[in-house]
Amino acid sequence: MTDIVSEINPQVFDSNLPDIHKIEMLPLEPKYAATNFKLGAGFTTIFVLILVFLRLQPWLEWDETLLTVLTVVVSVLIAICLLFTIYKKLADPLKTYALREFDLSFQSGLFFRKKVTQPITRIQHIELKRGPIERKIGLATLQVFSAGGALHTFEIPGLELSKAQKIRQFILQHKDSVTHG
Amino acid sequence: MANTTEVDPEVSNNTGEEYETNQWQRLSPIAIIYFGASFIQGIIGQFVYIAPPILLGYNSIKDNPWIGLPIAIGILALLITSAVLNFYFFQYRLSKSSIEIRSGVLSKKHVNLPFSRIQNVKIEQPIYYRAMGFACLTLDTAGSSKQEAKVVALKLDFAEKLKQEIMGQHNEAILQSVDSDEEKSAVSLSSNQEEVINTRSIKDLVIHGVTSNRIWIFLGVLAPFYEKLSKYAGEFLLTFGIDIAQIFDPSTHSMWQLGLYAFSITMMIMLMMTLFSIFGAIMTFYGFTLSKIEDRYIRRSGLFTKHEVSMRLSRLQKIAHKRDWLDMLLNRVNLRFEQSSSQMNGMENGGISNLTDKIIVPSVTTNEALDLICDVYPENALANISFITISKRFFIRYIGFLCMPLYLAIFTFLIIIENYALILPITGVFAFICLLIFMRWKRWGYAIDNKYLYIRKGIFGVDHFVFPIYKVQQTVLKQSKFMKRRKLCSVSFVLASGAMNVPFIKESQGIELINRSLFEVETSGKSWM
Repeated sequence: MTDIVSEINPQVFDSNLPDIHKIEMLPLEPKYAATNFKLGAGFTTIFVLILVFLRLQPWLEWDETLLTVLTVVVSVLIAICLLFTIYKKLADPLKTYALREFDLSFQSGLFFRKKVTQPITRIQHIELKRGPIERKIGLATLQVFSAGGALHTFEIPGLELSKAQKIRQFILQHKDSVTHG
Repeated sequence: MANTTEVDPEVSNNTGEEYETNQWQRLSPIAIIYFGASFIQGIIGQFVYIAPPILLGYNSIKDNPWIGLPIAIGILALLITSAVLNFYFFQYRLSKSSIEIRSGVLSKKHVNLPFSRIQNVKIEQPIYYRAMGFACLTLDTAGSSKQEAKVVALKLDFAEKLKQEIMGQHNEAILQSVDSDEEKSAVSLSSNQEEVINTRSIKDLVIHGVTSNRIWIFLGVLAPFYEKLSKYAGEFLLTFGIDIAQIFDPSTHSMWQLGLYAFSITMMIMLMMTLFSIFGAIMTFYGFTLSKIEDRYIRRSGLFTKHEVSMRLSRLQKIAHKRDWLDMLLNRVNLRFEQSSSQMNGMENGGISNLTDKIIVPSVTTNEALDLICDVYPENALANISFITISKRFFIRYIGFLCMPLYLAIFTFLIIIENYALILPITGVFAFICLLIFMRWKRWGYAIDNKYLYIRKGIFGVDHFVFPIYKVQQTVLKQSKFMKRRKLCSVSFVLASGAMNVPFIKESQGIELINRSLFEVETSGKSWM
């Protein structure tokens, strides 16, 4: 590591800096990945069933060329759905998060690993988002907004509600926190 | 605090009534023109949605021209009613330390803005206001665009005074947090002395017009009309006895003649476009001055509509120092001071980024640019810092794993179908894309010192970006499996003015960059705005 340090500027990098590479990342609730998979698989199955039904139903005549085009389009759609479900199945369990004293991190991705780190002092406001399914299984998504804009909203899904509330409380009570709600 | 006391009596003398009455009041009727103009702008902005019905109705209108009249009258009536109603429902009320605005015809809006929360005051003077000495005052708060308030027609001198007043209150708020007496007097001494730090002459603007690629935007806008235009142009030329079809007929002319015609026509079109672009540059930047007063930078410019944008130094997020290849030849730089862009705002306006979000200094010379950057960020080392280039895996990946296979596939396909004529152009395109990727790699780099992060990128031109490390909002570290094996990673820094990426750098360097910026953000205690 010394060559890099000298390459840039000896004063800049302090070897005692806390290292984001050495954070202990915590897994999300196992329920999160499992439910996502069930949803994806269920959706794909229903989608396929509906299409098969439409294809085989006896009442309506299909135009020949239209039929071939539609078949191709539909197969591609189904393939995308399947791939997406499989990807989620593999990638969801790999999502991890960590809470340090001054920042939050979230890591995700199967082929492209991505670790986003949000310093608490730059947080503008926090939201707990709970859709109907999340409510049913007792999970919550923690959304953290910074001035980086809507594209860079920091999000940790699949947290147990009590844990999400605790994290929110931690951020709100943090001395660096400048949040208003 | 002397500065506020200096301003205060003046304000209360001249505008005391307005301050104390506390009554709701309307704008000057000239605002109707403004509302009318913004109605028209709104229609043009919605052109995408309106165009299809117009195009559909075009033929029927052509057949029955009298239909057009009622439609035109209808639109005109709508325009006038909307402008008058907007004017009627627009009311504002000033109190000692806040402004309230009620507006809206169908959806009512009520904004209450305490002066101390206003971050930015902009004065805008459309051409139709200038003769009468009116101006629009835009009040910005730090947060969302929803909190923005615009007072549409005020007398210019009153607007200026109001601005002073608001800014004065702001300084008061800041000063209260400063304990040292020395600093107080230092601030109040320098107050109200506006110092012009840059102006642009017409010559500079002409250069800016030539180098900025606004013309391509113009070309893009015209694209749907090319066919019509070329037809009309052809007919028009025919009336002068010039037959385009005959000129370009290969049987009557030799190759070099054709080439010459094509060349001269291209040159002519380029010249026209350049003229348009120069006109555009002059329109936007005529009479450009960049001045500095205390910690504020103020840009004034405009030929028809005079804009004034002021930005507090603390709101500045990054400086972009941009040069395309023509700028490199002419030794010019476009400098941009970017503040929080509030992307939400951009989306609300249909994705058109607001020009007033940033202060642009068009086509300054390299030395002037460095002086300006040093004025803003005194300790920056952009002039002599050495950049660390990204890994050559960048172009190996894009050329080797993306372009090359694609090219080989097309190549084989062409061989199979025996279309040899296309091989040369395809190879040319491939070579050009490789060159682009190579240049992109060569330009991309970063550097860091004790206070600032520097990023360099570009293709033929070079852009430099400087931002203080503590302005970072969020960091992202990305790594694919392939990159992990090579011990590489990509990092990006999310700023309030957008994200800055540095791909394919050494893993250890990327992690250090992120550790360092997080450390700076989390321990410096400095606010990003």
